Amino acid sequence: MRALLAFFQPNAWNVFRRNLLAWQKYAFSSLAINIVEPFAYFLALGFGLGAYLTLKGYGSLVQFMAPGFMGFTAMNTVTFDASWGSYERLNFNGVYESMVTAPVQPEEIAAGEYLWEAFRAVMYGLLFLGVIALFGLVHSWLALLCPIALALTGIMYAIPALWVAMLVKTQEHLFYYFSFVVTPTTMIAGVFFPLDRMPHWLQTIAWFTPLYHAVNVFRALVLGTLGWNNAIDVAWMLVSIVVLAVLPLRTLRGRLAN
Amino acid sequence: MESVVVARGLTKRYGALEAVRGVDFAVPPRTCFGFLGVNGAGKTTTMKMIYCRIARTSGDLFVLGMDAARQPKEIKRRIGVVVQETALDPELTSLENLVLYARFFGIGRTDAERRARELLGFIALEGKERSLIRDLSGGMKRRLMIARALVNDPELLILDEPTTGLDPQARLLVWEKLDRLRSEGKTLVLTSHYMEEAARLCERLVIMNEGLIVTEGAPNELIAQHAAHDVLEISGRDAAALESVTLDGVIHRRERHGDTLYLYNADNRALLRRFSELGMEPERHVARQATLEDVFLNLTGRELAE
Repeated sequence: MRALLAFFQPNAWNVFRRNLLAWQKYAFSSLAINIVEPFAYFLALGFGLGAYLTLKGYGSLVQFMAPGFMGFTAMNTVTFDASWGSYERLNFNGVYESMVTAPVQPEEIAAGEYLWEAFRAVMYGLLFLGVIALFGLVHSWLALLCPIALALTGIMYAIPALWVAMLVKTQEHLFYYFSFVVTPTTMIAGVFFPLDRMPHWLQTIAWFTPLYHAVNVFRALVLGTLGWNNAIDVAWMLVSIVVLAVLPLRTLRGRLAN
Repeated sequence: MESVVVARGLTKRYGALEAVRGVDFAVPPRTCFGFLGVNGAGKTTTMKMIYCRIARTSGDLFVLGMDAARQPKEIKRRIGVVVQETALDPELTSLENLVLYARFFGIGRTDAERRARELLGFIALEGKERSLIRDLSGGMKRRLMIARALVNDPELLILDEPTTGLDPQARLLVWEKLDRLRSEGKTLVLTSHYMEEAARLCERLVIMNEGLIVTEGAPNELIAQHAAHDVLEISGRDAAALESVTLDGVIHRRERHGDTLYLYNADNRALLRRFSELGMEPERHVARQATLEDVFLNLTGRELAE
């Protein structure tokens, strides 16, 4: 409960402000790198590979992948920043240490990080949305609701990234999380291909993948096909956030308590 | 007048390690109070308990009249802390570091910015507002740490080794600022390795060793009691030759460790003059001031175990 109230504390927003100030110093390169790379894959797969096939019931591959890649972009930028960045803030340059020496509570640090990652997902996601809109791949005004879904995606991916960063002994171990968790689950999240011809067990695993639900929602918003099944996706995201958000906080408290 | 910090039987244990083993002290208001000791003596642990960064294991600890275990947040609001390792945000500029820190104390944007600029002036860093931390020298960083600790206009300032690793000029500048703060009526608590620093800054100090306070007093008292002012270190052939020389009263104490002879005396130059008068000036020698280590040898009667 206290963790939830922390979102409304001024110091949660000061932690957010800290990250914003830091980000502003390299905003251009960060935006460029985080957009150009997924966009290169998107172009190669969507237009290159997509030229040879259409997906039964989904149309062109490029149309299928456009909203998927928006979610992929948001997830990537948050995952890296929340893990690599917060590891440094905890272990290398005393950023968190300085905060708790001032009257900032660990739950305000966690809340501030979540707010920042939500914002980050919205920024990078919207940039990608803008690009696919230019390609004529956005078909509904419902796409204007994307920021809300992007913010949820941001927090959803900030939670495990932050948690892993608080747990690992060395920064390089973060690659275990990237390679063994993030990448494989991304492959079955419906970014690159539909899942309905996949084996049942794979679809079950996909259902437990955060990005799967996020991408469902993005696709529905971009194509204007929002339905009740998407309510389940949104509920999945909300519940997972509420249930899991406390995990990194507990570990952070422990790390800052010695 | 009521003491700013009061500790009674204060201990801190980490598992089997007892870092602080029951210390008592009282810091009077508007003074500079020093904690001296080598690494591992328990100074930093004691500081961390005072600024509510870690919880004590047992004993009493009151800061500004408040129990450190019960009102950490309130205490943090009213004190300033300069931690041992430079912990400035490397991704922010000098000004941003100060403004953001002020905002953590609930100071509004306009006030925070005004205060930050004032403090940059105080520590002689005007013109460096937009510098990133990595572009500042070690001395500038340490001064910026001090400025950051002052954003909330604290009644008590805690400084954990504020000058360790600084060159003499940078150290002098830090001392000057600390003098100013004390004369403005702030209470300062600091830790140091350097006897010279403590003698210069502190009205009162304690010496810690292995988690205990070994002695307490005014710096001059302690140096007079436990060490001479100067030390002449003589090595090589001369060490053996000079070991038994007696100069009535000039050499307070002598010690031999391996090839080196340590002569504790009031004034190295006078001592060297005497030696040259006697035609026995040592070829290889180091003339230096007595340090905490020398006081230590006297107090503990043994060599330092690092």
